[in-house]
Amino acid sequence: MSYAFKDYQWSKDIAIKEYLLPRSLAEAFEILAKYNGKAQVIAGGTDVIPRLRHRDLEVEALVDITHLPDMSGIREEADKIVIGGLTTHRQIAASPLIREKAGILADGAGCLGSPQIRNIATVAGNLVSGHPAADTSTPLLALNASVTITSQEGERVIPLTEFFLDKGKTALDCRREILTQIRFAALKKNQGSSHLRLSKRRSLTVAVLIFAAVVEVDHTQNMIKAAQIALGPVAPIPLRATKTEAALRGAPINNETIERAAESVCRESNPIADPVWGSAEYKEEIIKVFTKRGLKKALKQAGTPVE
Amino acid sequence: MNHVELSFKLNGQDISIQILPNTLLVDLLRDRLGLTGTKTGCRQGECGVCTVLLDGDPVNSCLLPAVKVAGRSVTTIEGLATEDGRLDIIQERFISEGAVQCGFCTPGMIMNAKALLDREASPSETDIKKAISGVLCRCTGYRKIVQAVKSASEAKE
Amino acid sequence: MKEKTDKKKKVKILTKEKVDLQQLFKVPSMGLAVAGQSVARTDARQKVMGTLKFGADYAQEKFLHGKILRSPHPHALIKSINTEKAKSMPGVMAVLTAEDVPGRNGFGAIIPDQPVICSDKVRFVGDGVALVAAETEQIAQQALERIEVEYEILPAIFDPRDAIKEDAPKIHDKGNLLSYNKLRKGDVSKGFAEADTILKRTYQVPFLDHAYLEPDMCMAIPQPDGTMLVEGPMQAPFTTRRNVNAVLGVPINKVRVRQVPMGGGFGGKEDSPIDLGARAAVLAWHTGKPVRLALEREEVMLQTCKRHPMIMEIRIGAKKDGTLLAFEGVIYDEQGAYASLGPIIPPAGGSHIHAMIMMAGPYEIPNVKVDAYLCYTNNPYGGAMRGFGAPQVHIAHEQLIDELAEELGMNPIDIRRKNGLKQGSATATGQVLDQSVGLIDTLDACAKAFNWDEKYRQTGYIDKTRSKRRGVGIGMGWYRTSIGINADGCGANVHVHEDGSVLLFSGITEMGQGSFTVLPQICAEELGVRLEDIRYVVPDTDIVPESGPTVGSRSTTLMGNAIILAARQVKESILAAASEMLDVPADRLVAKDRLIYDTENSVNSVTFKDAALKCMQTGRRLIGQGWWTPPKPSLDPETGQGNPYFVYTFSTHMAEVIVDVETGEVDITDFVAAFDIGRAINPRLIEGQIEGGVAMGLGYALMENVVVDQGYIQNKSLRNYLIPTSLDVPDTRSIILEVENKYGPYGAKGIGEMPNIPATPAVLNAIANACGGRVRSLPADPEGVFRAIREAGGPPDK
Repeated sequence: MSYAFKDYQWSKDIAIKEYLLPRSLAEAFEILAKYNGKAQVIAGGTDVIPRLRHRDLEVEALVDITHLPDMSGIREEADKIVIGGLTTHRQIAASPLIREKAGILADGAGCLGSPQIRNIATVAGNLVSGHPAADTSTPLLALNASVTITSQEGERVIPLTEFFLDKGKTALDCRREILTQIRFAALKKNQGSSHLRLSKRRSLTVAVLIFAAVVEVDHTQNMIKAAQIALGPVAPIPLRATKTEAALRGAPINNETIERAAESVCRESNPIADPVWGSAEYKEEIIKVFTKRGLKKALKQAGTPVE
Repeated sequence: MNHVELSFKLNGQDISIQILPNTLLVDLLRDRLGLTGTKTGCRQGECGVCTVLLDGDPVNSCLLPAVKVAGRSVTTIEGLATEDGRLDIIQERFISEGAVQCGFCTPGMIMNAKALLDREASPSETDIKKAISGVLCRCTGYRKIVQAVKSASEAKE
Repeated sequence: MKEKTDKKKKVKILTKEKVDLQQLFKVPSMGLAVAGQSVARTDARQKVMGTLKFGADYAQEKFLHGKILRSPHPHALIKSINTEKAKSMPGVMAVLTAEDVPGRNGFGAIIPDQPVICSDKVRFVGDGVALVAAETEQIAQQALERIEVEYEILPAIFDPRDAIKEDAPKIHDKGNLLSYNKLRKGDVSKGFAEADTILKRTYQVPFLDHAYLEPDMCMAIPQPDGTMLVEGPMQAPFTTRRNVNAVLGVPINKVRVRQVPMGGGFGGKEDSPIDLGARAAVLAWHTGKPVRLALEREEVMLQTCKRHPMIMEIRIGAKKDGTLLAFEGVIYDEQGAYASLGPIIPPAGGSHIHAMIMMAGPYEIPNVKVDAYLCYTNNPYGGAMRGFGAPQVHIAHEQLIDELAEELGMNPIDIRRKNGLKQGSATATGQVLDQSVGLIDTLDACAKAFNWDEKYRQTGYIDKTRSKRRGVGIGMGWYRTSIGINADGCGANVHVHEDGSVLLFSGITEMGQGSFTVLPQICAEELGVRLEDIRYVVPDTDIVPESGPTVGSRSTTLMGNAIILAARQVKESILAAASEMLDVPADRLVAKDRLIYDTENSVNSVTFKDAALKCMQTGRRLIGQGWWTPPKPSLDPETGQGNPYFVYTFSTHMAEVIVDVETGEVDITDFVAAFDIGRAINPRLIEGQIEGGVAMGLGYALMENVVVDQGYIQNKSLRNYLIPTSLDVPDTRSIILEVENKYGPYGAKGIGEMPNIPATPAVLNAIANACGGRVRSLPADPEGVFRAIREAGGPPDK
């Protein structure tokens, strides 16, 4: 156990030399290219600024993308929901469209931090933080979302399941790239969803555990056709419990299925102990409780409650 | 480091000022502009005593690089009372309901309440508690703050 | 109890009919005009406008910025320190090490055992190793990085029980046991032998932080006349002064200390200003310039005092009808690296002896034995935090009483009613309480408002899936008014001017609790003028009389009495002048609402200001001075028997919770808190103290915990040191009872600390009642409750 200098001597300031506000994507990429790795993107800043203050992040310049056009907004395109890269948590939480067609994302976004933070923090920024407990990562994983990463070289679209690489590390290089869009299929009539969050107090706090699930059911056969189950922080990255999802395909909707799923999700997870947030054993227990409650809730919403 | 020119609207007035790019809005307000009503309690966006309104929405000014507010409108606690000293109804009710103790969180609380009442004519107590859930208070237990905001909303009708 | 309603605000107050107050502090027969009213705070307007300047709001241009280089090790020798590189930086005005301290290189509220700048060793992570003053904060921070210190790491101690073992490494030369204190009343072995039931339990509580929203800071400004002015947020200007003068090596009268508006204190700003004040003063001394030393939030967590952690091993014996016969306790009280406010100031001052005295609770127990060990460790140090040792022991005895009640099949309210202190009872120190004992009144009033009987019957699952279970719990408590030392005096001066305006001089500070309103209320009441006629002068040691610190819930009572005495002295002159002007004997005159009138003919009157003018013109003194000390405290060091504190405030809290028995999450759905505070000088302000104190107590129960690992604090920010938000606190209902204290102004007792004390065990007892899980090692956060349910073998009747 020890402290680095920055852990026991704190500054009040952030050590950047330039703060730039490009007006177009092209301009943004030009600046980033010029700084060649010494500048990075900032949107709301609620994640970047504290990291700069603690000297966890060192850059010469910040490139603020909040003035870029055509990057906000939530819209429907056929059966898909498309969210612009500058959409804030508050906009998501307040959006009637999201509430109706992807309620778990509205729930998740509404849990982040505080009203002040939600007013400026972007969902894209939340994903890019790469934190396994990020409040929008888990529901977006359960919604099978994909993201568009734009750079000077062009655009690429990645499923969110391939986006998270390690704690704090994603497929996006914030010194060269910008997350410009998030999209996922709106929930259908035979789908139900749930979002559960455990925390040590009711506002301004990181989650101890987040659970999100989307299930697709066959009413006539009373069985699960497909499921997406996502959790965090139970691994270095937000997790999809893919083995459990596979086992649930075609499973009958009954208590036995739920119990087995709970044990399976727990086995797929690997939570670690944290001196402040809690032990691994406790998290494992809550994973089981939340899986049971979450699946039951999603199934009920889909119209096939567990008897 | 070169200075940059920042122009924005502050408490209804247009201002233009030269600042260093690493200046945070809270420090610009407090150290350069003498508006010390906005406080710092944690510099991490965790306590809310630095809340100001940005285009009417509450934000933590300790997390905002000042350059971000270029061309936008910022309101601080000093912008609430009129020039001749007449208090905003929220300020009045904070006094009459006993919602002030040490006073350190008071500006942050009032700014969040102002944003709420500008949006919501008759908020419920739960709405109020949620609106102030991003400002920590160690003195009051929040009860009289909620009552003050409720009373102010009722007076406004 | 008679019920009255405060007109200005719907605060319900219950008053006991029979009153027998000392002549001096009696309520006038016509009632109170200013005291007893819920008037608005005198400083509220500036606070809501944001114009009141706190320490960090002061203009910074003329100041140098001071910073402290701290130790990164919990226990180490300092082999060498090289400041050359730091000194040579442009903009750096001073880099100081131990030999640069002009006077005593030590500070402390009780024992000056903390080095201003460490010379030979460091004792906790956060200990000060060098001081820097520079033109900007950034330069000062960079200078810190250039100071080279070589350490030799020493074996360290992190558990108070390890600290007192034979072979434990010494943290201080005199050894690790800072204080051992004992209490012996009656014969516990006899008591236990007669008991039908004996329960033995261990309770453990962690470090807590005050988490006031205003981070600490201090300013030291050398004056042209060679004196040093130290100002900043602080609760104890006189204690700060007597440390700064010693550190500078100058007489007391060469240091001036002044309180600046404070954004919360809760006991933490009793001694952190000594730390920052001494260090800023030394930097100002060397540079000859004003120095400003301000801490970031994380540095506040790291460096300033905490609430003492305790391990309490207690045993209780009772008859099967619930009569308590014997109580035995061992307290391991962790002091941390430095003495701060832990050690004893005889007879009964200091947090450790206070905890020992309060250990057995507000109960009549004939046989009590307590052994209390106060131990140094290499962890952060314990100081004063709202309750000063009482919160910890209440968590133990209130839970134990509940566990005993359960064992005996008794309702928790009945066992408390049976054994709770009443007028004429003797406490664990053998003190016979001959006046102002409203404990059972608070129990009854709380139970009625909370609807205890019905709620106690309705505990159980609230949902079909049997995952959420409701329960209720009681916390009963008491807290002293005063600090149990002989030097507990309070001085006040009152100056009346010829236009009727008044200056009130007192060293009691304002941290949000309302002293700057309540004390002027008392002054206005006594003089017979209005609140707005009084200006309370800022607590400045050059200007106000010795008043002691603003701690121990002593201010309203002790300073209130001093103010009454001072006001009375001036009033003699005023009434004498009025008597002449009206040609009526002075003893027939009464002063009220700026008038002095003849009680036999009320239209015959003069104004207060005309009488004051007359005094001025005829050379009558318009200066009043008051000095009040409580009845002498006593406590035998061998037996712990005596009268340590002269009066107590009493309180009962009741909580209703719903526990999610599968996750351990707790929701508080109802909370009632009743207090016997003697007399409410400002009922609405008292409500504010109650609601805020309860919230703090709930934080202790459910979420607060300074996590220390091998001496390193793991949660240094408000992000991970969790205090309740607006969504975590229930709608607390307050009940104020007045069982008057003959030694208090109009009967008042203290309120500042009481509210946060029984709240914690009330919630813990409710949790146990709801889910069967008893959390004996705090906090009862979801994991803590979950584990407790597991330990109990699962929730009840699942």
